[in-house]
Amino acid sequence: MNAIGSEPYIILSMVLFLMGTLGVLMRRNAILLFMSVELMLNSANLALVAFAREWGGVNGHVFVFFVMTVAAAEVAIGLALIVNIFRERQSINIDDLQQMQG
Amino acid sequence: MEWLFLIVSFVAVLSAGMMLTRQNAVHSALFLIVNFGCVAFLYLMLDAPFLAMVQVTVYTGAIMVLFLFVIMLLGAETTTDQPRRMRWLGFTGTAIAIILLLVFAFPIASDMLSDEPFEAPDAQAQVRAVNAIPGGEGQIFTVMEMGFAMPLADSVRGNVLLDAADENYADLRLDALVYDAVGADAAAYTSLAAGDYTISAGVGDGSYVSAPVFSEALRLPPDSAHTLLFYQNAEGLVAISLQQDDVSAPEVGTMRLTFINAVADKEVALVDVGQYSARSSLCDNSSCGALIPHRVLIEGLPAGARATLELDAGDYTLAFVDQEQNILRTMTDFTAARGAIETRVLVREPGVPGSQPNYRAVSFSASGIPAFGSPEAVGQVLFIEYVLPVMLVGMLLLVALIGVIVLARPDALAQAERRRVNRRRRVSRPLVSVLARQTGADVLSGDYAAKLPRPRPEDGDAR
Repeated sequence: MNAIGSEPYIILSMVLFLMGTLGVLMRRNAILLFMSVELMLNSANLALVAFAREWGGVNGHVFVFFVMTVAAAEVAIGLALIVNIFRERQSINIDDLQQMQG
Repeated sequence: MEWLFLIVSFVAVLSAGMMLTRQNAVHSALFLIVNFGCVAFLYLMLDAPFLAMVQVTVYTGAIMVLFLFVIMLLGAETTTDQPRRMRWLGFTGTAIAIILLLVFAFPIASDMLSDEPFEAPDAQAQVRAVNAIPGGEGQIFTVMEMGFAMPLADSVRGNVLLDAADENYADLRLDALVYDAVGADAAAYTSLAAGDYTISAGVGDGSYVSAPVFSEALRLPPDSAHTLLFYQNAEGLVAISLQQDDVSAPEVGTMRLTFINAVADKEVALVDVGQYSARSSLCDNSSCGALIPHRVLIEGLPAGARATLELDAGDYTLAFVDQEQNILRTMTDFTAARGAIETRVLVREPGVPGSQPNYRAVSFSASGIPAFGSPEAVGQVLFIEYVLPVMLVGMLLLVALIGVIVLARPDALAQAERRRVNRRRRVSRPLVSVLARQTGADVLSGDYAAKLPRPRPEDGDAR
């Protein structure tokens, strides 16, 4: 059943994480930025689950569970912020949001 | 399995790439859902069924619906996505990402290709020892486990081990489990990594162990449980039996009762005497009468044998009877709890020779060992070891809930803005008049007036 080692999962997790990073760097749509962050969180979760199987303990699963919970809270808050920003400025292009710049 | 993993990971990477490159945010969200589904599938392949379920419900369910909802609510499907500043970020980011991928992933990949095939992780198996020898001096057993992982010469293992000198195997003792000699002791399971072992037992405690009286090669599959039982056989000699326990969860509404007969010279059956509990409770151990009507649960077992049955939850009066239908021991008000796993060992207590023997039904219970990654396994760790973080995360979710409600109020930001402007006005107006008085210049007219901060017109209207 478990013919596959953990390394392919780790590599896949790296690839997905870097794709998420690229999304954060390249896209300017705040919602897509958020989705890229979710992709990064997911790839980290995948690595955690792979390591949990490697070590034979379920602590990694518990950690993934917490990450999912925090991600849900983060998405709820973040999307509420985006809705408010859109209401104010009619745009969610993050290049338009630079009033915090010194 | 390899091709399955390749297909799923290819779809995952492909959908992630599509998500990054689509201009329409709804399409991106849909591709991200595909990606999350692939990750859930990979969780299943990684023996994490519970997390796969949570992934589907929380991520592809709740979170992505929230995303789609917000995108469509805002009508932001095709908002401007053109970078206005830091255009170099995309190219630099791509370059750095590829370099990082090469630096980190390449060694792993090359290592993986050269490495030997993956071995299953160290899953746990359980072993326990039960001493059912009726008392006596020196009846302490030490159970040794000698795995193949130990540097153990072939000549020492197996039959030769049985007549090895004391000092030879004293060094081999790895994880000694010492049990009390008096009566039968309820023993807890000890976790060992699943694999092949040679289980040996010698008489004596941790400081001195005799030559092994028992040695058996044993394969411990993952998530299994074995019981090592020391008992007295019909000839009055110490016998040892090693049997596998069923520790999977019992059927719904039942308990699993295992009966082990450790009485040397009797065949003992387990019977249910039902409604006659009041009468049979009168039977004490020394004077038991003839057997009343009963229902046989377990037929007569020879010494050292065991039998298992699933008992419907409820209260019972059980009795152990020998082949002459004499009650050796009753268990009044035996409560069969749902889902419990219990083992009863019937032993004869050491008594004065010639007197009526006493029998004891020693009980020890086991909890089922949940499979790796199952909801039970995760739940046990989550709510035993990580109770405080669970509480904190619950608080976090509550705070997030309140925060979203506050943020989503339609006039939340407008009110804050108004308050901010009012505060500024309260300071700046008197300041202007002070300046005018001190300098004598009419700061509110002419060139000065244009430079002064002015409240926004809509704020003035709102007042």
